[in-house]
Amino acid sequence: MDYSPCMESPEKRPCFSEMVEPGYELAPPAWRWVSERGLLVATGDATLARYEALTSGNFKEIQEMVPADGSLLLVLRRGEPPSADLRAALVAPLPPTSLTAGILHEIEVEYGGAAGPDLPALAALAGMEPRSYISSHAAVEYQVSFLGFQPGFPYLRGLPDQLHAPRRPSPRVRVAAGSVAIGGEYCGIYPAGGPGGWQVIGHTAVVLFDPAREAPALLMPGDRVRFVPR
Amino acid sequence: MIEVLRAGVCDLVVDPGRPGWGALGVPAGGAADPAALMAANRLAGNDAVAAGLEITLSGPILRFPFGAVVALTGTHFAATRSSGAAVAWNETLVMAAGETLSLDRAMDGCRCWLAVHGGLAVPRVMGSRSTLLPAGFGGHLGRALEVGDVLQCEPGTREVRRLRARPPPLERASPLHVITGPQVDWFDDTGLAAFFAGTFGVDASSDRRGLRLAGSAVTHERADLPSQGVLPGAIQIPPDGRPIILGWDGPVTGGYPVIAGVISADLPKVAQLCPGDAVQFMTTEIAAARGRTRERWDIEALE
Repeated sequence: MDYSPCMESPEKRPCFSEMVEPGYELAPPAWRWVSERGLLVATGDATLARYEALTSGNFKEIQEMVPADGSLLLVLRRGEPPSADLRAALVAPLPPTSLTAGILHEIEVEYGGAAGPDLPALAALAGMEPRSYISSHAAVEYQVSFLGFQPGFPYLRGLPDQLHAPRRPSPRVRVAAGSVAIGGEYCGIYPAGGPGGWQVIGHTAVVLFDPAREAPALLMPGDRVRFVPR
Repeated sequence: MIEVLRAGVCDLVVDPGRPGWGALGVPAGGAADPAALMAANRLAGNDAVAAGLEITLSGPILRFPFGAVVALTGTHFAATRSSGAAVAWNETLVMAAGETLSLDRAMDGCRCWLAVHGGLAVPRVMGSRSTLLPAGFGGHLGRALEVGDVLQCEPGTREVRRLRARPPPLERASPLHVITGPQVDWFDDTGLAAFFAGTFGVDASSDRRGLRLAGSAVTHERADLPSQGVLPGAIQIPPDGRPIILGWDGPVTGGYPVIAGVISADLPKVAQLCPGDAVQFMTTEIAAARGRTRERWDIEALE
């Protein structure tokens, strides 16, 4: 298990510097407060495993949890401090095989053209022909790291290094629902239309989020994704 | 039944919100001051969690073709009734059949809440009747009210009594109490001074996703921050140094450094901040913030 604060890559700063609660003698996991109800816990590479462990722990003081990039936010019920049991659970060893491999989704994508206006520039940035850029993007399996930004917006880990790209200098006023896009080391898919700063390389017709469905989000943290060029 | 004869700038169907879906990227949302909505519900003879309207800055004209028992809480708006009767805040109001209620400009704040006996009958989406405007679902068709809309009410289950509520004091001009945030050590002395000693103005582009503040830039180290979970009240500092206080419909994750977070007890004050209002911040401790329990609304019988 890895309790180091969220060091994802050397050029990136961790979410917060290592610190220990006053009166709390144990080494990390470090945590910090986001107002008095938000307990932001550094989880390193074990975010989803810790999320699952805390979910099954059924802690009454937790209203909800938000897994993110190397950290887990616990939103506590108003006026309730973290119990001793919860504090213990934050440092308890994780079962080595607690994380089941998520469902594999195959998602058809129309790359380039009007569906992916940033693809030519990104291919040039990667020093590739658009065709080989597409095959590199579709060659690997991605894993949903967490959901955020919009309901059901997946942050997909696994983008080949060569395809990493910065966000657009100024965000687009409107990105279409279903846009497949690159932001830094992540690939994402916009569930709904709206403003967006990621570089759009393609489009899928798949409905990522439908609040009327029993499972509103198609992709859940831990699920795997393969893109299939149309 | 309520007919919308004129829509306000942003009239939303809200209830206490839909907590529990943060891992799916869905914010809890709900009334910006849930205690005020709950009090309005009690005055209208409802369960605290019934759906009502959150009305912002400039309100609607509503007609009650069959009459209704209603109540208003939150900031006072310039308001009139077609019957000529006074529009009292914080008490049970009985609207006659065919009567209209006109809510014009907010007088001394940003938002009020209107409860109707029975509660507004919109479908529950993911467990809540609240509108989530940025995602376009919940509430009335996932959007703000428009002229011509007709809202149905659930049948009331409780006996109606005429009641009056005494709201807790809301010191709008006092600084917002904050807990220092997870990235506070990214800020140099200049940035910290700008934030903790500065006065900011609320920008007109503010909404339920976030309050944007203008003032001296809060300078900080430029570095890539991995996305982290955030919640309403978290204060992000984007590269331009202008703070954003995340609101009730804000994203559940963010990639800007969080310098501080407004404590829960002061979020009702944030709900009443208008464009142009001045904002200052003052630090407090976790235990003190936690000790400030839910705002107390005393309710008594009228007459």
